[in-house]
Amino acid sequence: MKKYTRRMAILATAAVMTLGTTGGSKAAETIRIGLSAALTGPAAFVGVSIRRGAEMAVDAINAKGGISGKKIELIVRDDEHNPVKTVANHRELVEREKVIAMLGTTNSAAMLATAPIINDELKVPIVAPATDATKITENQAWEQKRDNYVFRLGMFGRGQANFLANTLVQKFGYKKLGLLTWTAGWGVTGRGELNRRLNELGMPAVADETYDTADTDMTPQILKLRSAGAEAIINYGLARENAFVTRTKQKLRDTTPYASAWGIAAPAFWKAAGASGEGVLTSTTISIDGPQSAERKSVLDEYLSRYGEKIDGPPFFFAAYDVVNLLAQVIGKVGEDPSAIRAGLENVPEFKGLIRHFKRPVFTRQRHDALTEADMILGRWTNGQLLEVQYDGSGPYVVLDSNEKKYIDTKTLALK
Amino acid sequence: MEFFLHILISGIATGAIYSLIAVGYSITFTTMRVLNFALGMWVMIGGMLTLTLNVMLGFNLLITLPVLVAVMAILGVVGERVSIYPFFRAGSDVWIMSTLAVGFLFINSAQLIWGHNPLPVPSFFGDGIIMFGPFAIFPQQILVIATAFVIFSLLYLFYYRTLLGKAFRAIAYSSEVTSLMGINTRMICILSYVMTSVLAGVAGFIIVPITFAEPQMGTVLGLKAFAVAIVAGLSAPRGILFCGLAYGALEALASGYFYTGVRDILGFSLMILVLILRPEGLFGKPTGERA
Repeated sequence: MKKYTRRMAILATAAVMTLGTTGGSKAAETIRIGLSAALTGPAAFVGVSIRRGAEMAVDAINAKGGISGKKIELIVRDDEHNPVKTVANHRELVEREKVIAMLGTTNSAAMLATAPIINDELKVPIVAPATDATKITENQAWEQKRDNYVFRLGMFGRGQANFLANTLVQKFGYKKLGLLTWTAGWGVTGRGELNRRLNELGMPAVADETYDTADTDMTPQILKLRSAGAEAIINYGLARENAFVTRTKQKLRDTTPYASAWGIAAPAFWKAAGASGEGVLTSTTISIDGPQSAERKSVLDEYLSRYGEKIDGPPFFFAAYDVVNLLAQVIGKVGEDPSAIRAGLENVPEFKGLIRHFKRPVFTRQRHDALTEADMILGRWTNGQLLEVQYDGSGPYVVLDSNEKKYIDTKTLALK
Repeated sequence: MEFFLHILISGIATGAIYSLIAVGYSITFTTMRVLNFALGMWVMIGGMLTLTLNVMLGFNLLITLPVLVAVMAILGVVGERVSIYPFFRAGSDVWIMSTLAVGFLFINSAQLIWGHNPLPVPSFFGDGIIMFGPFAIFPQQILVIATAFVIFSLLYLFYYRTLLGKAFRAIAYSSEVTSLMGINTRMICILSYVMTSVLAGVAGFIIVPITFAEPQMGTVLGLKAFAVAIVAGLSAPRGILFCGLAYGALEALASGYFYTGVRDILGFSLMILVLILRPEGLFGKPTGERA
């Protein structure tokens, strides 16, 4: 028995040593990029979209020979949307798996928690594709003008609130806006940002209503917004409660224009809301419905053949896809040293991504958000598709699959 | 006045959901002085089964309902055996935790089986809207209100007009004496738990077109229903029906005339006030019967 245990111990030690050495040698053979995201639990659709976007980009780059002959390897960890696990995963990815760059996770709180650890200890660049809290990139290192390793290619809270308020006021011509926000999570920060922007614009919200997670009938809130004379309603919340709002509006035959932050920029909203979601506007970074560029189309087709379904979280998928390509471009130029990659990211003069073709520096030392308010787009839910709203002299319009141009009636958001 | 009535109607429709769930708490409390704290999660399972049977497998509602009742009854027997019986027999209060554990098991299983996105279940009477003059209500909301009244009436008849129902009440009075009268109290405890499970399943079935099917659909509703059951008095089914409707109306009026943010403060303060002034609930009989 005793002999047996000792043999086990020797075997175990040997196994650990082998693991250690393969880890080390692998790091030299491949370029390792890390990802920790919620792959299980309620936020899984965001995490899985990110993982698939990164995977498809990695495979496409490797198929063309990788970066200077080296293949990219994606190392993925599940953090279950739990900030504690995100921080632990990031540490493990950097210290043991020796990744030289990372993609950000699904949870703003986790990104806020990990930012100081990445900047002060791990010093490996991380680019966030999904989380929108403003302070993620404008963190302590940024404030102190030290090297900031945290970047974002996606929505950021302040920009989104500004974009929504500006668009509705300037492009749609509303003067009296009402708010309807979720009392939990990012609804609270969104409400603050929206109120700030509306005050800056000199037209404070005419009504500032909220709802809880369990509210299935929004009659009191809608009636109050209506009696306050709101010409349009802005929401900050998630898909499910947004569907309750549109259904209540349908019940009350209320045609007040309705716009939301990007909580509804995913097919889950239409599935829940059905026809009551027709005409609803949302800020987002990308619309994959309607006419698409050839590059996007080939990625969309490949996604369909690879996973056999439509993308659950298009903004996250495409952001992750672009992040991996951006990292590959930078690593190809500056090599594999993490701090050189960080500096390299701040010096990309042009980048052709699928979300945007950046004809200006993607990031600068001061600005770690790739997308500015000017890059955000407004989508209109149109018969199950989220179509990008565009503008000309006659007002806002969308282009249907049939290439037909339809103007939006700003009084009701119906198509003319 | 129109504003008031609009809000009142929507509030009562929401309140009927609370009543429908809250009655479940009272049944096992009547027989065993035990509560299924995870009742909201059982409601969710009812909703999810409706999604599977009616939407995914395409069975009509007349097949969906009996299958659902059967599955919930089986789950009820198993649930009682694992989360109540071992602790109840030992005179322990661990069932507070074990019933909750079953609930979390349900939520996590549901996330694995059905995913996390809210999925719509079509309203039983289509997407129409019923108008009473200027006032609008969804047909499904009327169905919830009607079902609540039917279930409470049946429960009343059961308690006061059937022998079994009288046995339920007798156990509430004294389990030992009832046992001496030749009534199988163990069977009745199981039966009461199964009734609770089935009623939760039926509540899920009726409300899922309103709430959407998703693993968290019953969690907060179950909590609010618990508040309703406590305010009304756990041993007072008719009081629960009334208090559920009133609570829903009160919530909606608080949202309409004050602010959604203060609504739950008002609701739960009321609950605490009632507990201080009348620990047995507004409609409950003073305890002491069960000496």
